[in-house]
Amino acid sequence: MNVSSVPPDSEGQPSRSARHRNTSSGREAEAAHLVDLMTLCSRGHEDAFAELYDLTSQRIHGIILRVLRSPDHAAEVTQEVYVEVWRQAARYSPDKGSVIAWMTTMAHRRAVDRVRSVSSEMARDERYAFHGGDREIDQVWDGVEQRLDIERVRKGMASLTAIQREALTLAYFGGYTQSQVAQLLKLPLGTVKTRIRDGLIGLRDALGVEA
Amino acid sequence: MSEIHGAVGSYVVNALDPDELEEFEAHLAVCPTCSREVVEFCETAAKLSLLASVPPPPTALRESVLAAISEIRPLPPEPPAEPALAESTAPGTVAVPAESGRPVDELALRRQRRRTRILSVLVAAVVAAAIALGGVVYTLVQTRQAQVAQQAAETELLTAPDVQTYSATMKDGGQISFVVSRSLNRALFIGKDLPAVGSDRTYQLWTLEGERPIPDNLVAGGGDRKQFFRETLSGVTSLAVSVEAAGGAPQPTPSTIQTVTQLSS
Repeated sequence: MNVSSVPPDSEGQPSRSARHRNTSSGREAEAAHLVDLMTLCSRGHEDAFAELYDLTSQRIHGIILRVLRSPDHAAEVTQEVYVEVWRQAARYSPDKGSVIAWMTTMAHRRAVDRVRSVSSEMARDERYAFHGGDREIDQVWDGVEQRLDIERVRKGMASLTAIQREALTLAYFGGYTQSQVAQLLKLPLGTVKTRIRDGLIGLRDALGVEA
Repeated sequence: MSEIHGAVGSYVVNALDPDELEEFEAHLAVCPTCSREVVEFCETAAKLSLLASVPPPPTALRESVLAAISEIRPLPPEPPAEPALAESTAPGTVAVPAESGRPVDELALRRQRRRTRILSVLVAAVVAAAIALGGVVYTLVQTRQAQVAQQAAETELLTAPDVQTYSATMKDGGQISFVVSRSLNRALFIGKDLPAVGSDRTYQLWTLEGERPIPDNLVAGGGDRKQFFRETLSGVTSLAVSVEAAGGAPQPTPSTIQTVTQLSS
């Protein structure tokens, strides 16, 4: 065990989040609520699941659609993910991280798996045209906190070096493997690997680690 | 820091190539530092996903998901490998998964998932969606081998905002439904436990433009069947089914018409 990796605060409360205390209380309450919903789901409460779906589906479907581009595939994978969340609800525990991170991780993996399993057979459906901008977002988010979050993520991304940002974007939103990213960016694989990790570290530090 | 630690970022964004993935997962199982970083980076990536937010998914998807889970029993908790956690850890905090070196659970999930084929889930989902949308019981378990493309088309149809289901009982007693979307310009025939029609005969689908029938795909009798209409729905006012000689007919035989279902425009 590398002792230096233990957070300075022995309670496990990441110290960086203290800076964001004003807006983080709402987020913490929401995160705690999602944990409660997961507990109810594990006991078979479908109404809790419906609420969980309502609170998270925009994000989960959003990341899946961004990776897959195809609304059809995105609908299928979104459904798979939620069915899995329901089945695995009892297997979630808060030491695996927040509910939304657990779900997003699952969603991203499945989206990437789908990309890799279908991309050899069919080109991605380009009906969902992504222009690189995120203009639509502001119109659909009504939560002020969420809008603030998005702003912070944008700023966090802007604080990275261009290569970190590009490598992370291609890997995360593009669903490319690191060796594909290396080819796309014409960089050695080792460099890309480092940039992806550095990008996540930079973003993590810019955002604080609060869950 | 050894080389392998450096893969943690690529691992979290699912960018590792298969061979390196195996290697890193083996490492992760015994490296608390990387485990901790994985948990943190997953939180970071979840934030990053905010940038992908788009308008909410189609409401039909919600119906479909809720219908699907109502037929699925949540798994029991895993046998406790360590003392109760839910009570002891504040929600949302980042906790190091103990010094036991126990792999984070996503790993087990992932390995399990590799073994699980997704098709059966998809079929179940599509069928569940059909139930939710049409109120007709379809148990099309026979069609598990259906192609992914077919699945995608069905899901698209079933999640279309204007999807409509018309159910009918055919003259020979067969229970059928037409699932129709004007916006997609497509219709799907679903037959539940269709009567056998003999090896020299077949069900035939028809689209009608007013009084004019246009021959469409053939559907074998006996069992559960799903078949998309070949024709689009432009100008189509009704859908029909008849029984014809094997190979189909250019015009429906009036006495064997099983059902004519008028579509709303």
